[in-house]
Amino acid sequence: MTEEGGKSQVGTKVLGILDIQNTPCARESLLHGSGASLVAGLLHFLATSRVKRSFDVGVAGFMLTTLGSWFYCRYNNAKLRVQQRIIQDGMKNKVIYEGTNLDPTRKKTED
Amino acid sequence: MAHPTQLGFQDAASPVMEELLHFHDHALMIVFLISTLVLYIIIAMVSTKLTNKYILDSQEIEIVWTVLPAVILVLIALPSLRILYLMDEINDPHLTIKAMGHQWYWSYEYTDYEDLGFDSYMIPTQDLTPGQFRLLETDHRMVVPMESPVRVLVSAEDVLHSWAVPSLGVKMDAVPGRLNQTAFIASRPGVFYGQCSEICGANHSFMPIVVEAVPLEHFESWSSLMLEDA
Repeated sequence: MTEEGGKSQVGTKVLGILDIQNTPCARESLLHGSGASLVAGLLHFLATSRVKRSFDVGVAGFMLTTLGSWFYCRYNNAKLRVQQRIIQDGMKNKVIYEGTNLDPTRKKTED
Repeated sequence: MAHPTQLGFQDAASPVMEELLHFHDHALMIVFLISTLVLYIIIAMVSTKLTNKYILDSQEIEIVWTVLPAVILVLIALPSLRILYLMDEINDPHLTIKAMGHQWYWSYEYTDYEDLGFDSYMIPTQDLTPGQFRLLETDHRMVVPMESPVRVLVSAEDVLHSWAVPSLGVKMDAVPGRLNQTAFIASRPGVFYGQCSEICGANHSFMPIVVEAVPLEHFESWSSLMLEDA
């Protein structure tokens, strides 16, 4: 199921705008981005010993990883939502049309 | 309805509003990343000791800061246009309701089958019962069947008004002499509040909209009851 519940709690707003608790995929994307930022910046520093440039690499890594993780998660989320809607409509149609000619699960008999 | 100090959207009660919520999250994440980048650049510029007085041009950075914003705009535009066309899809409404704006109340007409019409005035604060919401409750609600496409024809009798229900993702200007059309599907039963969204005089803030989505059987009983009372 898509994790879209829990809207009742007051969320934490990063930079005052992004509600990471109530926005699906936000928390995971930020965590992935932060992790990648630390790793990329640290590796660059170990390789080059340049502090400022390592910070630049870290920030670039943060942005790219957050964006990539965000799009990947949102895409999967959207696919799940579409599937949920199809299942819900299928269940509703099954309940409404069961036993009638329009029952989608009924095998067509040749007369 | 909105809770006190709420800044974000209300929970979606229609498929279109759900899509708008998701698009808003998407755009906000992009805005957040751009803000982070700008903040970092500002800090880096302020804290550097380097000065370079001899830069004349730099092809690479010019390409980056031209292509990157274009790509970002495309990433925002594609889902935006998708929702725009989704909102304009031809749907086959099960019910048509006329919402007429007056100074300062709304009137609703259900004329598909019988002639049912009623006015919807705000309940004054002193007449509220415990549990009712100040400046949002009305004496008669616009009742609609849930999970059914509903078309609303919006117009006005005097001055400009606007019929808006945020949780359904609906806002349409009520213009005298003009018939504007909007449609929605209430995905779940509930009571959804809105307020007039176009300045229309002294009591512009005191002509709310209340939409109550109920199962079809309850809608049929409600409409029969309203016709008997009329």
